[in-house]
Amino acid sequence: MRIILCIKGVPKPETVKVDPETHTLKRESAELILNPFDRSAIEMAARLKERYGAEVIVISMGPPNVVPLLKEAYGVCADRMILLSDRVFAGSDTLATSRVLAKAIKKLSPFELILMGLKSADGETAQVPPETAALLGIPSLINVKDIFFEKGKIVAVRETEYTLEEIEVSPPLIASIYPKLDYLRPPSFKRLLEVRNKEPEILTSKDLGLKEEELGLSGSPTRVSGVFEKKFVERGEIWEGDPEELAKRLIILLKEKGFLKA
Amino acid sequence: MLVKYFLTEEQSLLVELVKRIGEEYIAPYALNWDEKEAFDMKPIQALAHADLFGIIVPKEYGGLGMGVFEMCLAVEWLSYYCAGVSTTYAASFLGAYPIILFGSKEQKEKYLPDIASGKKLCAFALTEPQAGSDAFAIKTTAKKEGDYYILNGVKQWITNGGIADIYVVVALTDPAKGPRGASAFIVENGDPGFSVGKKEKKLGLKSSVTTDLIFNDCKIPAERLISREGTGFMVALRTLDYARCGAGAQALGVAQAAFDVSLKHAKRRIQFGQPVYNFQAVNHTFAEMAMRLEAARALVYQVAKFIDSSLKEFSGASAMAKCFATDQAMWICERAIQMMGGYGYMRDYPVQKFFRDVKCLQIYEGTNEIQKNVIARELSKLYK
Amino acid sequence: MGNFILAYGEYHNGKLHPASLEILTPLREIADKLKKKLVLFLLIEDAERLKEVKALERTLCDEIWYLESQEFKDFKDDLFGKVIAELVKETNPYGVFFPATPQGMALAPRVAGELGVGLCAHVNAFEVEGETLYMLRPSYGENIIAKLYSTTLPVMATVSLHAFPIREGNKRPEIKEITLKESVKFESKLKIRKVKPIKREPSRLTVAKVVLAGGLGLKRRENFEKLKILAEILEAEVGVTRPLYYAGWAEEDRMIGVSGVTVRPKLYIGFGISGAIQHTIGMENSEFIIAINTDKEAPLVKMAHLSLIVDAEKFLDALLRQLKEGGN
Repeated sequence: MRIILCIKGVPKPETVKVDPETHTLKRESAELILNPFDRSAIEMAARLKERYGAEVIVISMGPPNVVPLLKEAYGVCADRMILLSDRVFAGSDTLATSRVLAKAIKKLSPFELILMGLKSADGETAQVPPETAALLGIPSLINVKDIFFEKGKIVAVRETEYTLEEIEVSPPLIASIYPKLDYLRPPSFKRLLEVRNKEPEILTSKDLGLKEEELGLSGSPTRVSGVFEKKFVERGEIWEGDPEELAKRLIILLKEKGFLKA
Repeated sequence: MLVKYFLTEEQSLLVELVKRIGEEYIAPYALNWDEKEAFDMKPIQALAHADLFGIIVPKEYGGLGMGVFEMCLAVEWLSYYCAGVSTTYAASFLGAYPIILFGSKEQKEKYLPDIASGKKLCAFALTEPQAGSDAFAIKTTAKKEGDYYILNGVKQWITNGGIADIYVVVALTDPAKGPRGASAFIVENGDPGFSVGKKEKKLGLKSSVTTDLIFNDCKIPAERLISREGTGFMVALRTLDYARCGAGAQALGVAQAAFDVSLKHAKRRIQFGQPVYNFQAVNHTFAEMAMRLEAARALVYQVAKFIDSSLKEFSGASAMAKCFATDQAMWICERAIQMMGGYGYMRDYPVQKFFRDVKCLQIYEGTNEIQKNVIARELSKLYK
Repeated sequence: MGNFILAYGEYHNGKLHPASLEILTPLREIADKLKKKLVLFLLIEDAERLKEVKALERTLCDEIWYLESQEFKDFKDDLFGKVIAELVKETNPYGVFFPATPQGMALAPRVAGELGVGLCAHVNAFEVEGETLYMLRPSYGENIIAKLYSTTLPVMATVSLHAFPIREGNKRPEIKEITLKESVKFESKLKIRKVKPIKREPSRLTVAKVVLAGGLGLKRRENFEKLKILAEILEAEVGVTRPLYYAGWAEEDRMIGVSGVTVRPKLYIGFGISGAIQHTIGMENSEFIIAINTDKEAPLVKMAHLSLIVDAEKFLDALLRQLKEGGN
């Protein structure tokens, strides 16, 4: 049984830098941390590895500074690490990103399950899992809370806005994982020691058989035409002073405006 | 820290991982566990997934095959976040050491992989109501009947009672021989005639579990005997020699936490128009705390490395590390409260917890008075 | 190319998701400017039940289209995606828009993937310039709004929840059944075995008259607990900025801003919130905005009707003490 775990490096909030022309994130120079939503996907992979002895391959598209994050996933449960890295990947929107992932995933056939975080903490689009599935022509489910294998079928528990559903599907499936699992394990010390001497396999656009026009900015149909700051016409009133005095004044104001009973 | 200890890359990685576990699985909850006197399995689960129960277990049994020094580093930094959690953790080593040191090949194969992976938690049971410091006064008996031993008696104040799966229990196989008639056994949770008494209410270490163990015609297979009959106290004392250093390491972690919290407070707290740290009475106290803490750390680390150098005799050194570090930590925690004034006394702040937690370290795993007996005895051997 | 715009009507058990009506508000304007027809479409297991949906009688759309099949009883991501993609291929709309509900978020990317077209997420404003439709959303990492367009047709986007008010139309839209020309098999690989309805408390934050929001300037979690005490006194609801949600101080449904909720209370007070656009986009339409912040130049201070330049932690303590002493 093969599980492909897709993770993403997101810029540490304080270190975010944006390309002033394209308004895409400069991931190369940012300090990348693991997308917090991906921890649930890693946890789910670890649980399935425990339950069924599945092989877990972790992949990530990004600059070389995502390698420590692949190693982190190896530290928890991954057996193989693959970095999808190429200059022409930079600036990809969700469609171009999904193209890269879909090609890489296909290269890893046969597989039963692809796990991803519900969304990324930077773009927050949540689009990549279903979009990749559509490109691969396989089913997808979002917000999956648990996964079982029963007689060669996948049984996924997903939460929608209205219902909690148990869904049976023949593999393969792309599932994005519910972000609030009750427990997320840390990496194992043994595996962290082991991974010090390992490096991920690297796949480029050439390895994936993708053309430059399908990738990066040129392969991304959504474009930024411009940006603007919100302008505020009138500046409101400013109060300064010590906390006690300001509190007193605010209480009076709240009473005047009827937000507080006089 | 003003003193650097030159850890290896592996040791630094270990400390980093323990701190990470502390920040994520312990720090946000520790005060609440203390307040509610609640044991939480999650940090234990995290330590298990991190393989940290395997530190001292040999590699061939699925462990990391590391030494007392690495065990001390892990215990120290866990204690920084919660000494209750580190007590659960360290007490499991106390129960694992007899099997690692004296277990048969079969016993090691049966128990150590599960101990290393954290699937099974251990406990060590020596103390009885009438046998605390006077350990030789134990009354629990183990009578051989065919291929079984039948245990009868009560063990008291056993850390991890009820939550452990594996208990190493010292009982008299030949009461007539006194201390030489004692033997160590492995008792498993679920063995017939074995039960757990009520959970004790403690001053500190509230997130750890302490109970009585009750043996009422508890029947265990004969192959659960560790080593030979009559070696029970040898097994127990050797185990304590190894593990005691861990109690010293716990003291370092708690003291460091108390030091950090109180020093940060003193730098921020404004009285008479300036941070109280500016006053000599305050900053000299911190200087004194820092010196004592680093002296204790240097001793604990050195003794741990000394034990790992596989020299035979280290009871005296191990006792020194435990006694000195825990005494200093008690002093440091008391001063930390004083340096924070009223804030130190309030239960919204953690220093009072450190103060209550650290008290136990001077008592358990052999009171500090008993440690001095050991040191004096060893000194006497040197100066015949 | 495409003389109409499609809006996804999320139908579940006799009801239309209100967010599907919200998105009609901006789409109506766009359709008028671009001289296109606005069509609300839905997938339904039994067309008879359309009668139950009272909201359909007075919507802003020109037409309502539905596709009917027993297979549409439960939401099946792959089937719904395939059917909508086929509908698009056969009818050539100018744009397809989804509300950013959990279902819309699961479905829109499948459709975009099937069609190989661009998809903008969490759009909260639109602009039409000439023949081009621009979609606006905050740019991550910058305190600016990015203006996006799509190089592919149909234009696709998911629209933020509560970003637009629901408006009623003045005519009864024509309801049409649509059948696909191609013989698309209404089959899903997903077999829904068990369904358990979830009772969800509607978020009171979105309808609250007074909202107290906390940001990193509150410094410690205890202070956020104090904010909740103040909220009880003022009969307000509490919200948080994204960093506080990530720090675990509050549940996701308390997060105000992009990918969180949009609030428009009569009074909004931001405690220790600098006002990153990710947050302000979700509260800028509040009637009266008060900022509590030490930084006079903070964006929230600039947009607030009243700003108190003071440490949020100390101010909150003082305010609570005075309110208690005052017997309130």
